[in-house]
This record gives sequence, structure tokens and C-alpha cells, in this order.
Amino acid sequence: MTCVSGKVVNQAPPSAREMMVIAAGLAVVCLFAAIILGSLYFVTQPAKEHNLHAREETMIRGLLGLSAQARIQEVRRYLKSEGKELQVIYLTNKKLAQLELDGKEVSAVAVPDDVAATSSAELKDEWVKKQIKVGNPEHLKYAGRFFIGMEGTQPAGYVVEGVTLGFKNWVRFFMAIDSTYTIQGVEIIEHEEDPGLGAEIVQRYFKNQFAGRSLADIEKISVTKDPLPAEWQAALEQLGDMPFRPWAEKYREMLPKNPNIHAITGSTISSVAVTTGIKTALANFRKRMNIVGSYL
Amino acid sequence: MSANRPPPPISTMLMRGLFEENPIFRLALSLCPAVAVTTSVKNGLMLGCAVLVVQVLSSMSGSLVKHVINPKIRIPVFTLIIAIWVSAMDMILAAYFADIYQQVGLYVKLIVAFAIIISRMELFSMKHSVVPSFWDGLGMGLGFLVGLVLAGAFRELLGNGSIFGIAVLPFKPLLLVVLPAGGFFTIGLIMALFNWVDVKRGHKLPSGGGGAHG
Repeated sequence: MTCVSGKVVNQAPPSAREMMVIAAGLAVVCLFAAIILGSLYFVTQPAKEHNLHAREETMIRGLLGLSAQARIQEVRRYLKSEGKELQVIYLTNKKLAQLELDGKEVSAVAVPDDVAATSSAELKDEWVKKQIKVGNPEHLKYAGRFFIGMEGTQPAGYVVEGVTLGFKNWVRFFMAIDSTYTIQGVEIIEHEEDPGLGAEIVQRYFKNQFAGRSLADIEKISVTKDPLPAEWQAALEQLGDMPFRPWAEKYREMLPKNPNIHAITGSTISSVAVTTGIKTALANFRKRMNIVGSYL
Repeated sequence: MSANRPPPPISTMLMRGLFEENPIFRLALSLCPAVAVTTSVKNGLMLGCAVLVVQVLSSMSGSLVKHVINPKIRIPVFTLIIAIWVSAMDMILAAYFADIYQQVGLYVKLIVAFAIIISRMELFSMKHSVVPSFWDGLGMGLGFLVGLVLAGAFRELLGNGSIFGIAVLPFKPLLLVVLPAGGFFTIGLIMALFNWVDVKRGHKLPSGGGGAHG
């Protein structure tokens, strides 16, 4: 392409004054940019957060197949590290429990109704920071969460949020499980994998391969590069249109025939990353439920 | 900078972007997104709208600041202006059009590097005032939008047998068209159509100078 401003050639180097003017011009443009973007961020951020929350809730309801009356409870986990001592803190709808690593209770306080009812993570974190005294605010950190789908007073299932390192960046996912730790479905919430390759992890033929597998299945599962059998793929595409239970019933005999996760062609790293993430998340969740169960 | 020339009439500025200098089919600029997102009409339409808004706003802002900015630093300033409007679009889409954002969010950020936008700022906004820049930006943005929608419609209809996600054909006539390679064929075919119309109207074929950019 031809350059229109041929005038720039053969010029004396700019004087100090001229350079100052150029720098000032750039600074003014940047200042305007900061004002525009800053005010837009201020205006749009609440709406963005609301959308995110609504999307998460729809996803959790879909994964667990909850009825319209079902309520979702959030359990947040924090880590407190002071000196060499490490403590885990769980915030449930009823209790704020501070525990040693081996599960021994340090303290447990009741949670006020307004904190339990709010959907704002920020409000919950603020309340926790007020309750747990730490010298340096850096020493109390949010460390993850899971959700409980409540049908009346009975838990209908759990959705665990997990993260795993993908090909380039973190992959955030939801994993739905029932009370026997059998996976009911997986949703990828956020990822930056390559379109057409690693980004295929969001497709049903990949993420639904985890559904229906028990804790024991997942513990010994591995990723295979064998091509995905057409019959199994067709079955995997059904989950989502069909709720989990009828799906698992209909394709019961397919699961033992496909004991491993079939990697996405050309994206073994992303496939392994998600599989490892699911393995870790499930194992950790089981350990944590043993501890937090009594505070729910 | 050269003295301000009188701007061409509005109709010329609008039609130029749509036909004679259509960014995709005549200038062959920003072919990468044109191939990547046009797998359906809806995607093409949404990205096209985003580009249209960013193009108009960037052209106008470029024209506004041209007297304040030393020509030596115009490129970083242009880039900054485009980045501002793209970030603004990104935030607004994420906040108020969450469904659309799910689909095109990844591509909206890439508009920062679209060759067509900076080339219109350099070629037009630097020499004209705000109002003509608006019309020029609108024409070019519309040209890009129409290009994406055309390519999207062609590919969705032939590759998937549907338009706007609604099945209109009971079969998929030519699956290849919706695959990445088919994107190149589609752009090439429509480009040929544009040239054919041009020759019919008595113009000469453009010389093959340009070449594809980002």
C-alpha cells in the first residue's frame, strides 16, 4: 500500500520543544481514552456481572436437571496462611467454619441471613474478611467454590467449579456430580484455547465423555488418541437435549465399552488438561465434602 | 498534511465502500476475519455491525484529532483510538448483549488489528473533516458488513442448508463451503462476481497490486 504522507522524509530531527508537544499530544489522547474506558467500565460492569451470574445459574440448573422451585446454595472456600500455619475456611449458607488442615475445628460462627441470601461474591468475601482476623489481608485468599442444588430440603446434586491449565491459559469448568460422586455432566465456562482445535473441548462429543463415570472410573481414566467411535459420538451428542438420568439409562452399556477419554484430534494437550482437571477436582471434592458436610 | 480537498458527494462516499472499494471484495483487506467468522449469516451480521460501529467512531475521532496530533505519531494515535472503541464495544456487548457476546466475543477484540479501519483513517480522515469522515466510515463499514453477510449467507445455505439457523433445504448441498477452505472459495467467487459486474459496467479490471492484509 502506498503511504500518503511523503512529507515526513528529509526532515531535520525534531527539537526538544517539538518532542514535548508530541508527548503532550499523546498524553492528552491517553487521558481521554482513560476517561472514556473508565466511565464505560463503571457503567457496564454491574450488568456484566449480572449476566455472568445468570448464566452460571442456568448452567447449574441444566447440569443437575433441577426443577423450577429448586434453590442453589453456594459454598465458598478460603485459605488462611499465617507464618507456617495453613487453615481452611468454608462459608456455607449456615456456618462460617475455620478448620485445621486435618479437619479439626478452630471456630464456627453462624452466618447472618443477608450474607447467606446474597448472590454477590464480593459481599460474601467482605463479610468473611471481617470475621477472620489476619494481620496482612494478603494472607486470606479465596480458593474455590461449589454449589449445592437443593430440592426442598434435600440436596439433589453438586456442581464443583474447577480450573486447569489448558494449552495457553486457564480453563474454568463446572462439573456436576450426584451424592455418590458419579459425574452427571461437564460444562466449560471459560477458556482461551484455539478455535477449531482446543476450543472443541466445549463440544458435546468431548465434554460429555465424562458423564456417567463414577469416582472409581475417573481415578483410573486416561486419554486415548484412538478415533472416537461413531456410535459413541452419536450417543454423546444426545446428552444436553436429553436430561442426564434417561440418557445414562439409555446408553448404559456404551460406557464400559469406552472406558477412556478420546482426545480431540490435534488437541491432545487440551484434552489431557481437562481430564486431569476433572480428576483433581473430583478427588479434592470428595476429601472436602467429608470435612464440610457437617456444616451444611 | 496536504490542504483539505472538498469531500466527494455523500452518495459517492457511501457507494464507494459498498462497491468500487468494497473492503473485502475489492481491496482484499481483513480477509482473515472474513474467512473465519462467515460460517453463518448471524455471525457475519454481528461482527459486521461491530466493525461498522468501530469504523464510524474511529474515522470521526481520527478526523477530530488530526490538527492536534503531530503526523509523526499518527499511527500510534490511530491504533489507540481504534483500541478505545473496540474496548468500548467489547464492554457494551458483554454487558447488554450477552448472547451475542458468547458467539463473537473472541472476534470483537480482533477488530483492533483490522487493516480496513486504520487504512480509512490514514487515507480519508486525515484529510477531511468530521462529517465526511462519518459518511466515509459508514460506507466502508456497510461495505464490510454486506461482504460478511453475503459470504455468510452463501456458506450457510450451501454448507448447512439453512439461513439464520433456520433449515431451508432438506439436505446439505456442499459441506466443503462451510469449512475453512470453503471460506477462501466463497470470497474468491464473490470477488469474481464483483469484477464481472464492474467489467460489464465498462470499467477496467483492477490491477493485482494490493494483496491480502490481516
